[in-house]
Amino acid sequence: MIVTILELRARLMRFLQRFQIVVEPVVKFIVAFVVFRSINNAIGHETHLMSLPAELLLAFLGTFVPPVILVLLGALVALVHVYVASPLLAILVAVLMVVLYCFIARFSGKYGYVVLAVPVLFLLKIPYVVPLVLGLVATPMTIIPTACGVIVYRMFTVISTAVELEAALVWGQGNAANVAAEGGTTSMIDDILTLYIDVIDRLVADKQMIITIAVFSVIIIVMYLMRRLSIDYVFAISVAVGAIFCILGFLFAGILLDTDLDITSVVFGTIGSMLVALVFQFFRMALDYTAVERVQFEDDDYYYYVKAVPKINLTVPKRSVKKISTKAEPAFSRLREKEGARAITKEERYAMGEELGEENEE
Amino acid sequence: MLNNRKVRLMTRLAMYEQNEGKEDIRLSKYFRTDYVRLQVLKTIVALTAGYLLVLLILALYHSEYLIRDALILDYRAMIVRYAGIYVVLVAVYCSMAMVGYMIQYRASRKKLAKYFRMLRRLRSMYREEDGEEAAGEEENIGYDSDNT
Repeated sequence: MIVTILELRARLMRFLQRFQIVVEPVVKFIVAFVVFRSINNAIGHETHLMSLPAELLLAFLGTFVPPVILVLLGALVALVHVYVASPLLAILVAVLMVVLYCFIARFSGKYGYVVLAVPVLFLLKIPYVVPLVLGLVATPMTIIPTACGVIVYRMFTVISTAVELEAALVWGQGNAANVAAEGGTTSMIDDILTLYIDVIDRLVADKQMIITIAVFSVIIIVMYLMRRLSIDYVFAISVAVGAIFCILGFLFAGILLDTDLDITSVVFGTIGSMLVALVFQFFRMALDYTAVERVQFEDDDYYYYVKAVPKINLTVPKRSVKKISTKAEPAFSRLREKEGARAITKEERYAMGEELGEENEE
Repeated sequence: MLNNRKVRLMTRLAMYEQNEGKEDIRLSKYFRTDYVRLQVLKTIVALTAGYLLVLLILALYHSEYLIRDALILDYRAMIVRYAGIYVVLVAVYCSMAMVGYMIQYRASRKKLAKYFRMLRRLRSMYREEDGEEAAGEEENIGYDSDNT
């Protein structure tokens, strides 16, 4: 069973390596498509952008640009959607994004794409993948982009409820304007201000955002500390510990701060995320803990205790087709098999057919 | 004829140059203090812009109150308060940025040193090819640093 899975892994890895030039753009395309698709699903207001050709075009664009530009593109698309629904809120969102960038996001370094990954995975219901995977591979510095991603997601959640609210307001105002045409402009400004204050209030008082950031940060730190321990199966264990922290963290925070958190979705989301993280780890490296080697030695300055865990590198047996026929095998097909193994002698070359024969004559 | 060792070395060099090396090489043009200072400066500029925007958001948020009490507001206290917050923020961000970028610079230098080692090895390969064909000494080249 395990051998089969390992063999499958080796085969898949070889396949990916061989067709990397094709696989990489395809994966990028799918990722970009999922990104734009989920943005459109979540806050789609601009119908042109929501059509399939537009999505495909954007995804195509996203395939050939670096991750940073993809993040920018995602932000732009989201902004356009908000702008169509409510220009005022779009300005607010843009300003908040700039503030976010100035204060924290610019320190995210090469993990900038996490800022985009968090909201998208939130929409796919498995946001916990982000801290679980980052805890496996990255340093606690990645708390910065993760927090930014959470903020962006919560911001858009608040904004989309506000958009609905504003739609109701504008509709009500349209009626009011018919009744009293004179006071129209002042009441509109009032409405806008009320909406603005309401959005800010909700953003600042968003408990769920704070809880999520706190729990994600704890997961990343705990997993980072765990995975440096020298124990067997440490990566799988740290993923499990991270998942437990995730569930318990949300549970306790939910009870303590009294939020309307759907704990079943947290549990199932965490389990799904854990599986994703484990698969990711399996493909990143498979270690053979049954063949751990411990050595101790010294040099002039230190005494070393070394624990070496071998990586499992299964060599997949190449499938070779063996032809069995009653006819005498032609000389050169037999030769082909040997080609790699040794140099071909002169006589064999003659036997191999005309092409080589000609070469030889020259 | 293709020299496998050279190809391998050059591939690794090119891979580094095109990915993380790009940043390291750009970084290597600065002295450490210059680099850190520049980054801290950038941080201050970004922070100032962000802070002004936050102030703008806040001003709009409280606009009703601000307009109503425009004449009786204690502007001096307000300025002192927000300037104070700004100064504290700048201090915190600057010290953090200084430490962070210093660490980054050092790490990048280390990677760059490895890169230069590989370059030197490549150069010595060329020299050997140009000179006598004796290649007995370079047996281990390409194998000894397979820790990527």
